[in-house]
Amino acid sequence: MKYQTSQFRNGLKVEVDGNPYVMTYFQFVKPGKGTAFTRTKLKNMLTGAVIERTYRTGETLQAAEVENTTMEFLYKEGEAYNFMDMETYEQVAIQESTIEAESKYLTENLQVEVLYYKNRPVSITLPNFIEAEISFCEPGIKGNTATGGNKPAKLSCGASVQVPLFVEQGEWIRVDTRTNEYVSRVKK
Amino acid sequence: MSMSLASKNKSTIIRQKSVLLHAIRTWFWENGYLEVQTPILVPSPAMEEHLEALPCRERWLHTSPEFAMKRLLTMGMCRIYQIVPCFRDEEVGVHHSREFSMLEWYRVGIGTADLMNETEALLQTCADALGVSLPTIQRIRTSELLDPKLSPEDWLFTWVDQIEPRLPRGAIVFDYPQWASALSRIRGQYADRFELYIDGIELANAFYEEREAQEVRHRWEKNNNARIEAGKNPHPIDHHFLDAVDRLPRCSGIALGLDRLLMVLLNVSAISHTQLELEEDSHDA
Repeated sequence: MKYQTSQFRNGLKVEVDGNPYVMTYFQFVKPGKGTAFTRTKLKNMLTGAVIERTYRTGETLQAAEVENTTMEFLYKEGEAYNFMDMETYEQVAIQESTIEAESKYLTENLQVEVLYYKNRPVSITLPNFIEAEISFCEPGIKGNTATGGNKPAKLSCGASVQVPLFVEQGEWIRVDTRTNEYVSRVKK
Repeated sequence: MSMSLASKNKSTIIRQKSVLLHAIRTWFWENGYLEVQTPILVPSPAMEEHLEALPCRERWLHTSPEFAMKRLLTMGMCRIYQIVPCFRDEEVGVHHSREFSMLEWYRVGIGTADLMNETEALLQTCADALGVSLPTIQRIRTSELLDPKLSPEDWLFTWVDQIEPRLPRGAIVFDYPQWASALSRIRGQYADRFELYIDGIELANAFYEEREAQEVRHRWEKNNNARIEAGKNPHPIDHHFLDAVDRLPRCSGIALGLDRLLMVLLNVSAISHTQLELEEDSHDA
């Protein structure tokens, strides 16, 4: 399937130079001096890198064979992270090298979006917030419940975040996966 | 100037457009120009390879009032301007609309350098009327930006892909390659035309006008042949205009997109926001 420049729109998933891209911007440009063009911004669905490309009217872009599937994280076995499709109960193993940045937030039963490109899982998108238990941090300072500095904390899922001094080991916290920042404590 | 669209409703834009129109008409009046109204339904649209006119019965909706206004110059008018809707098919985008307002003016006896000064003066008047500031306008030869020996296809692609997005905030670009002459006169190696850009948006297009009928006919035939080769219909030749060209006095003319000017001055992100889409509004009523 191919897209004409007149079919360009935001969110279109296309293949450029053998990589899947999502269109994040398009603009029809017709100089008074000649033919029409469409300027685009394309975001690489694997790396997140953004490129700018201009297309002549009549040029086409190949649709990218990509698909997003909601899946639940099951367990880690060696270097492989195992996920299950919640509709088909099909399981898939994704190597740690593919999801290096995200793997540290994976907790059991966490739902993520798995991106398939040409029928192969190529990346995952985490929820913006996850909840995890603090597996280790230095003890809190008595009386300091509101202000003060931060201290490092290790989470059960593997991530490390800065938490306020009053937070204790064994407590559950909410973390923003986009910024790797502590948000709040969670009652469990 | 940085007011967002959300805080700017249609009635504000209508008011500001009225202020702009008043300032423009006053400026032209004070500078000795006559306001003219030429027919919008014309026997022949602009003779360009890449302009698509909208047919209407046995005529066309004009793509600009160029031919009719030049004929007025042959009848002895010296300074004329027009504010008029123009129509170009197949042009829709944030800076394009099939129907848009054109401000076009012609002045006998001046070249493009004088017209650049006049354009800047008018622009300043418009900005003052709306209480906004303008970027400094730099004058740049196209050959300083792009190799004039590039093929027309490569030149234009590079222009859109690389040059236009990186122009200074205010720019008058002049001396175009000969193939881009349209109806401007060739002077030396270059076509004597200029374009005005603000914030990367092409606002106006000016020519020192070609005055030889034979040359005009030659260019039109070339354009029509290119259209036929591209599988499009050729445009009918406007013989009245062709007959008049030889009597055209030395003059320069410029066409400026008024909706785009309003976009730039009011910092509005899309041309549709400067236009009244009453049809869409009435769906809610």
